[in-house]
Order: sequence, then C-alpha cells, then structure tokens
Amino acid sequence: MVSSIGRHIEVDALSAEAVLIERAQARDEAAFEQIMNLYADRLYNYIVRLVGNPTDAEDLLQEVFLRAYQGLPNFDGRASLSTWLYRIATNLCIDHQRKRARRVQTVSYHAAEDEDGEPSEWELPDTQTPDPLDAALSRELQQVVEQAISMLSPKLRTVLLLYDVENLSYEEIARVLKIPIGTVKSRLNHARGQIQKQVDKYLRGESI
Amino acid sequence: MKCTHYERWLWDDLEGRLSAAQRQELYAHLQVCARCQRQRDTVLTTYRTLHALPRRRAPEHVVQQVRTRLQERSQTRAIPAWWKRVALAPALGLVAAAMWWGWLSMSSNEERTGVATKPSPAEESWVEIHEQLEVADWSPTVSYFIKTGYTR
Repeated sequence: MVSSIGRHIEVDALSAEAVLIERAQARDEAAFEQIMNLYADRLYNYIVRLVGNPTDAEDLLQEVFLRAYQGLPNFDGRASLSTWLYRIATNLCIDHQRKRARRVQTVSYHAAEDEDGEPSEWELPDTQTPDPLDAALSRELQQVVEQAISMLSPKLRTVLLLYDVENLSYEEIARVLKIPIGTVKSRLNHARGQIQKQVDKYLRGESI
Repeated sequence: MKCTHYERWLWDDLEGRLSAAQRQELYAHLQVCARCQRQRDTVLTTYRTLHALPRRRAPEHVVQQVRTRLQERSQTRAIPAWWKRVALAPALGLVAAAMWWGWLSMSSNEERTGVATKPSPAEESWVEIHEQLEVADWSPTVSYFIKTGYTR
C-alpha cells in the first residue's frame, strides 16, 4: 500500500517535471526558474564537494543552468532531467579543474592517484572551512570523511559523491559519466576503500 | 574464503545486496574473526557518516543571477527584431519618398518652364566637336547621341 502510494507520488512528480520541461523548452522563463529552484541545492552540494571551493561552485552552478537553458530545446528526455543536469555539472567541473590546474601550481599528494595510477591534477580544496554539522555525528568524523573525499582522484570522487552523497543509482551514474556499470562499481569500491582507511586510522587514533 | 572477500560483502550487506545465504556466511565469519568485526565497525561508521554529511545549500542569489543573465540575453536578442520593425520600415519609406520627390520636382520643373534642362559645359563641347566634324563630312556615332541627347 505504502509503496503503491510512493509510486503514485513519484509518477506525479515525474509528469509534473515533464510539463515543466516542455514549458521551459518553449522558453517559459518561469518554468525554467522552477527547474532551477528544484535542482539548485542538489547540484550545488555536488559541485562544491567536487571542486572544493564555494565561490567556484557558485559560478559553476550558474554556468550549469545557463548551459541547461541553452540546451533544453535539444533535451529529448531519454535520460532524466537530473541525470542530464549532473552530466553538465560534471563536465563543467572537470573542465574548470583542468583550466585551473594549468593556471595554478597544483598540490601533489600520494592519495590523488586514480585506479589507473594516473596522477590527479586537481588541487586540494581548503578543508579548514567550517561546515554545518549533522547533530548525530561528531564534527571530527565528518571532517575526516570530507577530507578523505577531497583527497580522492576526480574519477573516484565523482562516483562516490554521485552514489553515496547524491544517491544516484549505478545505472544513473553510468549514464551521467558515460561509463559501464562495472566501472562505476569498481570506482565506488576503490573510493570507499580509501575513505574507509582514513576513518579506520581516525578510529584507531592514528594521525591522518 | 579470505577476509578481503568478506570486507567487500560488508558494504553490500549494508545496502541489502546480499542473498540470505551470503548474509549467513558473512555473519558466521564475523563471529570468529576479530579483524573483520573491526572492519565492520569502520564500514558502518564510514557509511553512516557519508550518508549524513551536511547538505550544502545553494546561495539564494544564484537563481536570481541566472534569471538576470537570461533576461539580458533575451533583451540583446530582442533589439534587432524591434529595430527592424520600428526603424527599418520608416527608413526605407524615407528613401522611397526622397526618390519620388526628386523625380517629381525634376519633371514638374520641365513641365512648368517648357524648356529642357540647360546642357552642361561638357555637353556643349561635344556639340562643338560634332559641328566641326560635320563640316568635315563626319557621320554621328552612338556616343554622340548619348552625350548630346540625340534631339539636338
């Protein structure tokens, strides 16, 4: 019964979103603004952890929406809107980090190698910025995890954030990143393994 | 099976991806393996922390700024269309009116005076040359008719 109600709500939300998309495709700015309001927080939460800088994240979020508005007439609905938006955001973040890496001297760190052994060219974000806290968990533990995420390679970080933080499915992540589901699972395992190591060190009282 | 294998199952177990038989096997192993028990605590802590990370909210002005930028874009696109409608049509009308007025004033001047426009000095000199050539028994050419206006 409950799952049936849940499905109905989901279907209603999807059809409401389809109507919004149609209106936005017809250049209805009010409809597009509703789409922005629906996705702004989710995308920002993803982008800010991906690039590690709130100011850059703000600019990138704006750019995601501008690109989305531009590309909406060509959006065919084969992927969901959220998948499509996450794809735009991911591509923009990767481009942004590449450009920044050329301009700024990058910080090298051992943990920033992906599963292919390629060194990352991403910068370490400023992890000293205080975060709002979940009352259920300690500030320290959250910082350990946040820092561990920031030290992951871009490939691993993207998958981990999409799966464990943004709650996308394997299939959705495969569509966002245009990679096989097997690769999604393997990257997720690697990413989780690295986070787990840092948490283990913290729990054992070792310096991280 | 090795401990590393069970470690992978720890995550799957948290997400309910293990079969009943796998789950039973895992828990049987955990009862006898202190290392894997500790790993289980770590995985559980990591999983819970990851899923409880504070959500960062987008600054409110972002949507406002995007809206402004979109409006600016649509305005810059709208100017040429507006300009075409409001300015181009009257401009073309003015050109047409000027041409019409010029033609009208020239023809009315001829009608009023009954005299054709006075030939220019260049035309005069062509006539002189022709008269001299006529004396020399010369036949007129096409360019002569064009320059002198034929009727002369």
